[in-house]
Amino acid sequence: MYQADAKGSKLNLARRTRIAGLSIWRDWQLWAMLLPAAIYIIIFCYGPMYGLQLAFRDYDFSKGITGGNWVGLKYFMQYFESPMFWPTMRNTFIISLFSLICGFPIPILLAIVINSIRKQAFKRIVQTTLYLPYFISIVVMVALLQIMLSPTTGLFSNALKAMHLIPQDMNLLGSSSAFVWVYVLSGIWQMAGWNSIIFLAALSAVDRNLYDASQVDGANKWQQVRHIEIPSILPTIIILLIMNMGTILSVGFEKTFLMQNALNKSVSEVISTYVFNVGIMSGQFSFGSAVGLFNTLINFLFLILANQLAKRAANISLV
Amino acid sequence: MKMTQLFTTALAGCLITVALAGCAGGGNNDNNSSKNTNQSASSEKVKLTALVVKHSLTKDVNTMQWLNDLQDSVGVEIEWQQISADWDQKKSVLFASGEIPDLLFNATTDADYVQYQGLFEDLSPLINESATNISQMFNDHPEAKVLAETIDGKIYGVPRYRSVWPDTSPTMFINKTWLDNLGLELPTTWDELEDVLIAFRDGDPNQNGDTTDEIPMDFDKITSSYSPRLLLGSLGLPLSNYTQNGYFVEDGIVKNFLIDDRFKTLMIYLQKLYKEGLINQEVITQDYSKYQSLARGDGNIAKVGFTWGWESGDRFGNELRSQYVALPQLKQHSDSTHELYWSYDHYQIGYSGNAVAMSSKTKNKEAAMKFIDAMYDEKTSIEVLFGGMNDTDKGIKDNGDGTYQVLPPADAQLDPGTWKWTNSLADMGAFYIRDEMKQKLTLGEDMQRVVEEKSTYDQLLAKADVRINVYPQGFMKYSQEDINILAMNQANINHITDQSWAIWMTDASKDIEAEWNDYVKQVNNVGMKQNLEIRQKAYEAYLAQL
Repeated sequence: MYQADAKGSKLNLARRTRIAGLSIWRDWQLWAMLLPAAIYIIIFCYGPMYGLQLAFRDYDFSKGITGGNWVGLKYFMQYFESPMFWPTMRNTFIISLFSLICGFPIPILLAIVINSIRKQAFKRIVQTTLYLPYFISIVVMVALLQIMLSPTTGLFSNALKAMHLIPQDMNLLGSSSAFVWVYVLSGIWQMAGWNSIIFLAALSAVDRNLYDASQVDGANKWQQVRHIEIPSILPTIIILLIMNMGTILSVGFEKTFLMQNALNKSVSEVISTYVFNVGIMSGQFSFGSAVGLFNTLINFLFLILANQLAKRAANISLV
Repeated sequence: MKMTQLFTTALAGCLITVALAGCAGGGNNDNNSSKNTNQSASSEKVKLTALVVKHSLTKDVNTMQWLNDLQDSVGVEIEWQQISADWDQKKSVLFASGEIPDLLFNATTDADYVQYQGLFEDLSPLINESATNISQMFNDHPEAKVLAETIDGKIYGVPRYRSVWPDTSPTMFINKTWLDNLGLELPTTWDELEDVLIAFRDGDPNQNGDTTDEIPMDFDKITSSYSPRLLLGSLGLPLSNYTQNGYFVEDGIVKNFLIDDRFKTLMIYLQKLYKEGLINQEVITQDYSKYQSLARGDGNIAKVGFTWGWESGDRFGNELRSQYVALPQLKQHSDSTHELYWSYDHYQIGYSGNAVAMSSKTKNKEAAMKFIDAMYDEKTSIEVLFGGMNDTDKGIKDNGDGTYQVLPPADAQLDPGTWKWTNSLADMGAFYIRDEMKQKLTLGEDMQRVVEEKSTYDQLLAKADVRINVYPQGFMKYSQEDINILAMNQANINHITDQSWAIWMTDASKDIEAEWNDYVKQVNNVGMKQNLEIRQKAYEAYLAQL
């Protein structure tokens, strides 16, 4: 995953090819293990890209995917000029940015805390409890939210009101100011435990000798976290951050769609729900593809940008 | 007696022999041969595949005796694919694949025929040739043919027609027991309604000692039929045919109530009611199931005072039903002179398109058409709607004198509505319920109540005239280009209108009067103006066809 040895690029082509051949022959077991994943990606990710041309054509069922008239950027322009362009872009961006800023550090903290629990049995209980919400389906999750946050009978909203954390007449389900918070915080509750697994794995790889040495030097727990644990998992953090940047404009469709109602629509109409309403429900496939493709391009741009920044700053990057 | 018995036995014996011979002779190794024994010595049955989109309550169609009998009598054997959820999402995938079953019941829309050209069979030649029942429907009700025909005169989906239903979908209900407990009269104006609702809020009308558990007023989303938009009828605005997305016709012009001044008047009124705590706080965020269960109350304690619904049993449950009465349309003020209207939904309730469509790849189209047409037979049609006339289905009783009777639920646990939806294809089937059925068919208890409750509005409904104030949206035809424009604009319009009414109603600090003009301008700009023009054109074309 890490950047290949810089010297490698300077080797001449013939020699590189020979080395590649040698490596396949020598490490064929590794390549064989890679094969299923490669096949999966080719069939399910590269294959469907054939359909991307829909975004540039007037889709006509009777003529098939390749049969419609080539219209170039017509559907992209239609989206850019649509009054829904800015609202959907803004809403998507705000939701994902909040999810990233609030949601990204929590699993790291969680992993460090879990890692420092000494008692194995207790550690396992905590870990499992934190994973569990991940396995709740989104539909059930939103139904839970509906029940817990109901302004009249909701346990959670009544508790918040009793503590005067929210106004008495607030409806958490139907408020444009609460929507992003409800969305992000419930997302953290559901995902943080699961996302902490990878950091836990990274922490378990930290050399025990470092802890011993720091103890000899008189370091306390905080200093160990700061000077040993965080630097050790920093590469993992950065790689995951870069990958998360690649999904900056893809807000999950199901949850937004299920949580949407007339009162929060001003902030909950995101690109994916708009594509669903226009593209799928009204059968405007070309328009839907165009908007989807545009969305992916933006994501790709963010991914590259984050990758470059990380490379400059810390010399860590994908590829 | 003895003779008859002997004769019957002998006949039965013969039949079985013949049937067995038929099976063996045909070399038929079909797994379903038990089904085939019903039919004696006929030629090989035509095999068809069919997809049916049915209600989630509806039982497996293979267990509907009348349907099996019908297949036998027509000489077809159908392999059913049954869908009861998320068809809208599944549909685009299936249709885009190009491989569809021979017959599609309740599964298509007009847009599909435009979008998936070549996938569906033009049925008009087949109907002219052989479908006597469907032709009869088209003769008796030319609107049905208009509904079915595409812009270039083809028929891809056969419509359905039913006569026995009332002409409006919503009824306005008020809790009479609460009124009596508080010594109040039925309100006749918006002002009186407000007073009544305030009394409901403060007076503990359900007499359980708790003044906070009453919800004076509750409704579904304003885009739904069961919502305060019906009060627009108090202001002289004629709603019709479910008024989808707010479109209606007044003086022959297609308009949209969401940008009509009278809607502003209504919103100002609702904002006031909401501010006074007279409207359910969760009215916008609750889902339909919660909306329904709330009105069913808690045991025999009613919770909702004033609301809209289809029928009192369905809306309030059997226990509370008797507390509610249908309330006639209100005037705005006692001195208001607006003409009063009630939503006239005859076209939407009586007719609907695309009950069944056929794949263009069907091998034996004549047989498929014969089967479809058999469903439109006078007697079979009522079986489609209310369940079979036999001892297995127990849906309808044949009185033997040309009259029929819808039987009460065979399962005592179920209410008549649930029983109908469980036991038959119900309103999602393909049928032609003739106008004579109004006299010939005795409806179930629930439907009798519906008809009686809706009679409250008979006088207002009589004002309906399709050339002046009724907009049968479902009957309009558009070109593909227009469908694209309408869909795109509607998404933009809904984005503004949905949140506007919701925020105006719930946020008392919003000055609706001051925001109105900007709002109307904005809605017009994102496509309302264009949509109204396209719809006006189509409406005029429709009138010319009648």
